[in-house]
Amino acid sequence: MPLSVSLSIEGDTTVIELTGELDAKTAPEFHQTIEKAAGHGTSTVEIRMAGVGYMASAGLRSLVFAQQKVADHVTIRVVGAIEPVSRTIRTAGLDRSIQLSDD
Amino acid sequence: MVELARKPAVLEVPATLGALGEIAEFVLRLAARARLGTGATYRIRLAVDELATNIVMHGYRGGEGRITVLGRSGPDGVRIVIEDTAPAFDPVAGRLPPPPGIPPERRRVGGLGIHLALTSVDEYTYVRRDGRNISTLTVKAEGTDDVCPPRP
Repeated sequence: MPLSVSLSIEGDTTVIELTGELDAKTAPEFHQTIEKAAGHGTSTVEIRMAGVGYMASAGLRSLVFAQQKVADHVTIRVVGAIEPVSRTIRTAGLDRSIQLSDD
Repeated sequence: MVELARKPAVLEVPATLGALGEIAEFVLRLAARARLGTGATYRIRLAVDELATNIVMHGYRGGEGRITVLGRSGPDGVRIVIEDTAPAFDPVAGRLPPPPGIPPERRRVGGLGIHLALTSVDEYTYVRRDGRNISTLTVKAEGTDDVCPPRP
């Protein structure tokens, strides 16, 4: 299943919405969107993942990339990830620097 | 011991990222045939995907090669064998659990895919035979419905 990625700005938050499957084939598109989002300079980057049914380690790599690209004071939030996806994020220890929330 | 079909289903694909979708469909079909729960299905798919990705990216180093996936399903679970002819690589030896105490941005994420793969399955073995890397992964059906990947 392909990945669809959208990017928008809501107030002081840059919103990336992902739908589909995030694997080594599809992650580069997410990567490019993160690059654009980091350039917006908002205080929060929100990644909406409720529509992501599967995420491989390539998705984790993109999240690490997001942390590296944004300024220190910028909050990165992952919203609505299904249980196996959020568990993968926690396994990598990324929940210590990226906020995970249900909605 | 997991009871499985005698004759395996076989998929042979070029070692490219474009083939990952086909491999995933193959695994999902076997999982459905074994009536695995959603958690177990996710785990076997993740494990095979991570190992196949590793073969494409690091095994053949982006060069030409083939990946053969053999799968057997049965009432007790699914067993998948992944074969490639890239240079010898034992995923167990190359596995890197996420090191505690090191901030995520300073961590090497590369070995994490293998860590996810090996912690997602119930059984894993690696052998190098006749110039081939052979990984065998098993996910059991029983009691796996409420277990989501990856387990510690």
